[in-house]
Formats: sequence, structure tokens, C-alpha cells
Amino acid sequence: MSSLLLQGVGKRFGGLQAVSPFDMEIARGKITGLIGPNGAGKTTVVNLITGVYKLSQGRILYGNVDLTEAPRHEVARAGLARTYQTIRLLPDATVVANVMIGMYRHQKASLLAQLFGLPSSRAETARFRDEVFRLLDRFGMTRYADYPAGALSYGDQRRVEMMRALALKPEVLLLDEPVAGINDVEAAKLGEIFRSLAIDGDGMAVLLIEHNMRFVTNLCDYVYVLDSGELIAQGSAEEVVNNPIVVTAYLGDDVDA
Amino acid sequence: MDFLAPHLPLLDLIFIGTGYALSQAIVFRAGTFSVATSGFAALGAYCTAILTVKHGLHPAMAVGLGTMLGLLSGLLLSMPLARLRGVYQAIASLAFVEILVAFILFFEDLTGGPLGFHNIPRLVTPWMLFAAMVGTMGLLIVLGQGGIGRAFDAMRQDPAVAASLGVNPTKYHVLSFSLSGGIAGLFGGLDALRNFSLSAEQFGFSILIATLSAVVLGGRRTVIGPLVGVTILVLLPEIFRPLAAYRQAIYGLLLVVVMAYLPFGVFDSLVMRLHNRRLVRAGILAPKARSS
Repeated sequence: MSSLLLQGVGKRFGGLQAVSPFDMEIARGKITGLIGPNGAGKTTVVNLITGVYKLSQGRILYGNVDLTEAPRHEVARAGLARTYQTIRLLPDATVVANVMIGMYRHQKASLLAQLFGLPSSRAETARFRDEVFRLLDRFGMTRYADYPAGALSYGDQRRVEMMRALALKPEVLLLDEPVAGINDVEAAKLGEIFRSLAIDGDGMAVLLIEHNMRFVTNLCDYVYVLDSGELIAQGSAEEVVNNPIVVTAYLGDDVDA
Repeated sequence: MDFLAPHLPLLDLIFIGTGYALSQAIVFRAGTFSVATSGFAALGAYCTAILTVKHGLHPAMAVGLGTMLGLLSGLLLSMPLARLRGVYQAIASLAFVEILVAFILFFEDLTGGPLGFHNIPRLVTPWMLFAAMVGTMGLLIVLGQGGIGRAFDAMRQDPAVAASLGVNPTKYHVLSFSLSGGIAGLFGGLDALRNFSLSAEQFGFSILIATLSAVVLGGRRTVIGPLVGVTILVLLPEIFRPLAAYRQAIYGLLLVVVMAYLPFGVFDSLVMRLHNRRLVRAGILAPKARSS
């Protein structure tokens, strides 16, 4: 089982070093956490991995595939899926249509078959639809199947985005603040799903970007801490939480009480 | 059928206009903003006319080659245009049309130049045009329901998300342009075999504006929308014959009113309204809430 390896990855915007070179391993069958205060560069890391930004330094390797220079769609085809910090669904399209797009990676029908609606293309669409409904079932969203995604509540839109990422059947799943704005009970439910994706069943490599320290410590096997673009700590969740440097980064210097 | 006879030319205009409008709608559906349709149509028309008249090729073969030429030029044009976005793409495709018109005027020996290309036999019947229109609509409906439609929809609504889900933007860019070129080439070729003569001006700004107006007026998301738009634009001058002097003003007014109150076009807005009403009735949408 291969993991996603970041070797000396860094990003400069003009003269500004947004993320200083750092190493990271996102291992399969584990949930890796990436935490840090606002503006630390967490989302930049996801954008670097998924080919939205070009790397200024370093390499990204997945198994024997070099993703350093890969454009976004090739990163997705290699089996990496992501969600966005701010939800990005197609608001007018139905929930099913939104999730269906995620099946794109598994499309086998030839262009000609799709152009003329040959049986192979029709059968594929029907099969994708079945798989989408299985996903809806897993997230308890079946009754919303034909709703326009934009009409759903915030938490349900998050679920749709998650299902869309899972429709790729990714090997690496990058979750950018997936429980932001979701209450604790709902967040715990999603946490169970993440655990089942990585540890219990599907054996995915999950990268969880979060603010919420408690959520991270409950779920993550290994945690990286980013502050102002610098990797300031890494280790097991407990080590990181009790690390004085991390506490300072989160709470500031002058904590006397 | 006798009572229809005087109106048959109008039907021709509707069928061909819809073909052009569908060629325009397909690039819009993929989220690209090209207005090259009239250029592809000119290529298809002149190719068909020249091959039929000067080289004595079978007209069906000539139309087929005109379609291929439209398709190929769409494919070639898509490569430089894939690097551009939005209004820049529109301007570049407009330049393509203008350059093509200039070439048609320049190469007199081949195209007749400013005097036009004449003595083309009239070989197409309204039924052939109708069949071509229905066939094209069928093709667009079918491809819209499969993976190509899903990829186009995703690219139009959020290109970044589409790419992050594995959709190769260049591939679908090229595909939408090629389809647009092929469709316009086909209807350009049929147009040539309908009208006895061709002139460069007819493929300049006039088709471009008529096609864009039809798509805006009828709707650009459904396949029926362009047909509705073209039908309105062709029939309107006939209905308002007594007001012929004000024809252009009525045209303009209609477009402004539709854009202001039915931004998705007459037909698409109607479909959306019915769809929303169903959702309200099912308790999914709050009454009066409109998805933009």
C-alpha cells in the first residue's frame, strides 16, 4: 500500500514564502490531521497537492506516480479527491446530478458511444446512478435525491460535497474543514464515516484539515501543525496537543492564567 | 399542404436558423463563449457550393465534406481558443469570422468574391432541412444525457471543480467546438443548396447576431429553446408586417424585455418555472423562492 508523499514541498507567491518546504506522509488506512490557526497555509497545501497551484519547491509522489507537475484532472484520475473549505456544488443541479459528476473517473464508454447514446454508454449511466444511490443511502440522503443542491441546508450541502468526492472512489481523500459550521452531534456522525473510510473498511488515506482541536485529537492517527506557513510540530494527536509550541501558536504568547 | 405553400420559405428559415442556433448553444452548454458559428457555416456553405457547381460532385457528398470541413475547423480553432476565457474568447472567435469573410471576398476565382457565388442548384426540400434539424436535436439530446452532458454541465458551472473531479477541460473544449463546427458546417451546406447564391456578407455579423438573439430569446440550456427562439424571430416580422417600419425597434425591445424578465429565455424560463412549481408542491422549495 502506497502513501502520498510530500518531499520538501514549498510555495512562494512572488517574494512571499506562503509555505516553507516541509515533508509529509499521508498514509493509507490512516487519518492524518493538518491543523493550524487561520491563515497558516493549510488550504494552500491542499491546492498544491491537487495541482491548483504549481509547486515552488519539492516533489509530490504517489506510489510510483509523480504528481509534482500533474494538472488538476490528472491528479483526480490518479485517485485523489478533495472537498472545499467553502462549499462548491452546482446549485441548480439535483443532488444526484452533483454526485454523478464524481463518477467521471470510472467512465469507460468510448466518446463515440457517449455521442450517439449507444447501449454501453446508457448502461454505464444506469450503473453510475445505482452507485450514487448507494452513496446517498450511506449518508442518509436518499430522500433528497432530486432536490436542487442549492436548496439544501448547509450541513446537507457538505454531505453532498463529500459524496461527490467519494464517488471518485478515491484512494486519497483530502478534506478541507469538512465539519466547519456543523454542530457537534452531526460532526461526530461524519467523524464515524471518516473513520470507516480510512481505518475500518475502505483503507483510504485521509487528510483532515481542521480548526477544531478536539475533533482532530479524537480522530487522527498522526497530526501535522502549520503556523504562518511553517511546519512547527508533528506527532501523535496527544503529543501535538501538549506541545508548548503548538499551544503558543493557538493561544498566543502571554498565557498566564 | 397547399395552404402552407406560400409559407414554405419561412419554414426553411426556421429549420436552418435552428441548426445554427444549436451550433451556438452547444458551445454555451460547455461553458465556452465562442461566436464562431457563422464562420463554420460559411466554410460549409462555400465548400458545398464550390464542390457541387465547379467540380460536379454529388450534392450529398458535398454537404458531407462541408460538414467535415466545419468540424475540422472547429477542432483547429479550439486549440488557440482553449487558452482564452470569457469575453476574450468571444473576441477571438469574432476575429475568426471576420478574417474568413475577408478571405471569401479576396479569393474571387474560387468564391466569386464581392459579386457572390451564383447558379447553385436548389436541391434541398423543407423535409430534408426538417430531418437535419430533428437529427441534430436528437444527437444533442442523447449526448446531453450521457457522460458528455455531465462533463459539459460541470465545466459550465464550475470549471475548477470539474477539473478536480477528473474532467479534462481541453478535451471537452475541443469536443464542443468540433460539434459546433460540424453542425454549422452541415446547415451551411444545406443553406447553400437552398438559396441559389451565396454572398460573403450573409455570413458576417447578420447570422452571428440572429443566432445569438435566437439562443438568448429561446433558451440555451434545453435543445428546444433555440428552436423556439428562431421561430419567434422568423415569424415576428410576418406578424408585424403592418409595422414594418418599426421592425428593428420591435426586435430590440423584445430582446431587452426577455433578457430583463426571462433571463434564461422564453422556453427555458417556462421549463424552470414548471419545475420549481413541482418542487414547491412537493414541499422541497419554499413558495416564491427561486433558484437563480
